[in-house]
Amino acid sequence: MESTIHMENIIKRYYIGKPNELQILNGISLDINDGEFVSIVGESGSGKSTLMNIIGVLDRQTEGGYFLDGIDVNKMSDDMRSNVRNEKIGFVFQNFNLLPRATALKNVMIPLMYGKKKQKDAKERAMEMLEMVGMADRAKHKPNELSGGQKQRVAIARAMINNPSIILADEPTGALDSKTGHMVMDIFHKLHEEQGKTIVLITHSQELASETQRIITLSDGNIIKVKAGEEDAI
Amino acid sequence: MLFENIKESLNSIRCNKMRSLLTMLGIIIGISAVITITTIGNSLRRTLSTTFNSLGANALYMYIMARYPESEEDYLNWEYPEMDKEDYVTDEDIEKIKELYPDAIEGIAVNNFLGAGKVSDSSDNYAKVAVQGCTKDYLKYMKVDIKLGRNITDADNKKCKVSCVVADKMASNYFKDENPIGKNIEIDMGDTGIFTFVIVGVYKYNPQMQGGSDEKNVPEKDRITPIYTSYNTVSKLNKEDNYGYENFTIILNPSSNIKDSSANVKLYFDEKYADNKDFQIESFDAASELEMIDNIINIVTIAISAIAAISLIVGGVGVMNIMLVSITERTKEIGIRMALGAKRKTIRVQFLIEAVIICLIGGLIGVTIGIVNGYLLGGIVKMAVQSAYEEYASYIIFNVQPSLTAINISLFFSMLTGVFFGYYPANKAAKMEVIDALRYE
Repeated sequence: MESTIHMENIIKRYYIGKPNELQILNGISLDINDGEFVSIVGESGSGKSTLMNIIGVLDRQTEGGYFLDGIDVNKMSDDMRSNVRNEKIGFVFQNFNLLPRATALKNVMIPLMYGKKKQKDAKERAMEMLEMVGMADRAKHKPNELSGGQKQRVAIARAMINNPSIILADEPTGALDSKTGHMVMDIFHKLHEEQGKTIVLITHSQELASETQRIITLSDGNIIKVKAGEEDAI
Repeated sequence: MLFENIKESLNSIRCNKMRSLLTMLGIIIGISAVITITTIGNSLRRTLSTTFNSLGANALYMYIMARYPESEEDYLNWEYPEMDKEDYVTDEDIEKIKELYPDAIEGIAVNNFLGAGKVSDSSDNYAKVAVQGCTKDYLKYMKVDIKLGRNITDADNKKCKVSCVVADKMASNYFKDENPIGKNIEIDMGDTGIFTFVIVGVYKYNPQMQGGSDEKNVPEKDRITPIYTSYNTVSKLNKEDNYGYENFTIILNPSSNIKDSSANVKLYFDEKYADNKDFQIESFDAASELEMIDNIINIVTIAISAIAAISLIVGGVGVMNIMLVSITERTKEIGIRMALGAKRKTIRVQFLIEAVIICLIGGLIGVTIGIVNGYLLGGIVKMAVQSAYEEYASYIIFNVQPSLTAINISLFFSMLTGVFFGYYPANKAAKMEVIDALRYE
């Protein structure tokens, strides 16, 4: 079976050619299959966020090959990379990254605005997404009128609106208390089980990681351990 | 997408009202200055052309003038020559022009003065009048309206008849309810003599008429009204040699091509005087004069507008400055948008539209202020001119009229300013790396 995400010897360096050159990823090779729920864990500074940015086509690796659905991301133009982010990947960030001036509904609709296809029923579709995360009644509220958990649910609705095959969640519960954190995790489980989404969860919480099918542990830019999570065990 | 962008930009402007207004200030000042100037210029041109037209755009004023010697030596021994019989323009010339160029002219307007005097009868009933001689076209040219009876005719002129046309005001004051037509009046002009005229017509009096007086401190009864008789009658009574006209106004046919007609008349007279060693003919024509003044006002308006438009550049730099600040401030937003799939060109277009909209709103505010300013200044100018030349107040019709062309050009240029000064910041936004923008705090 073809891997959705296939990485070969990914190296990421910063400040290249300068005295303070820094190597964050030391040759990561990784395969994530379609429909898998994987977590990447590690201490802060271990390179997990950098890895996620590369997986999410937000950043470019310095060396190595990255194939997304079999396509070499390195060979993509800027516009193609934008399209990949728009269509294939749904992002959920630790700090939500909602536009402060836009209402929840408008925030959810943003990816549709940048999509290739003209969406006639954009509003209906956005409402559907908000309903899915239980936020339909707050559609008209701006982010500063929502709690952290509510913001993250809006962000998940936004991530889902273009029906991406991959969801990348970077510490999605990091800014939330454990109760709302679990609520958000439940949504991910639901998306995984009911819609078969590939989910990559980045966290430093072993507890959350253990809910996933596979735990990839990073340390100093290397994968030090890959272990099946509880979900798989069950 | 465009609509979305416009909505987005308006939203962003609304969120930063004060800053947006300050950004627009340069544009507002520039555009309002341009519009104020062009409004005044445009109004001035319109006023002049209506005033000129009411004074007779179809009039060609001509006068006979001596030929000056060309060399300086000759000039020292030169004396202004006496006019001989053949040096004058006569009614025959007018007839010839009418034959040569049918429909080119309506006639010739000339007037001369006999003097002022008093009409009185046995009781102490009297009226003060001033007697002028004129051709039949003169009254038409001066827009003198005959209410009763008839105008002065060519026959009156040829036979030096003592027929006259009096003012309705004079007629009602002096003759009361009697019909003045056919009545004889005796005018006592002191040293000049006593003259008798027969009234053949009554015209509608207008206080602005030449020869009349309408001073406020003079009692109604003592105000002088003009009496018109024929030109030849007056020169005969003045005991002048009447060979023809020395200065006169040719009335061109307004339904003909004024320029061609005017050129034809000039050509006729130039030929007539071509062989005349002592005299030549000069002309002054309102239409070409107006055209010249019009051009001058136009050039001045454009020049001042161009200077005012320099502030558009200053305004544009202001817009660029604020857009740069805005983009730095919204780096995170740009990052989020890019992460969610916005292409570089989408970001560029978004900020470009925002800059254009800021400039366009500034332009619209500027146009509004400019028009208001134009009306205010126009009102002040009108008041100033009318109080300075009270007697001409009714002639000066100062209609403030904003120039539509100037408004369109101004709005176009404010948009252009937006594009020009918005491009650099927008491009800067578009060139951001998505991950750097997203991480920006």
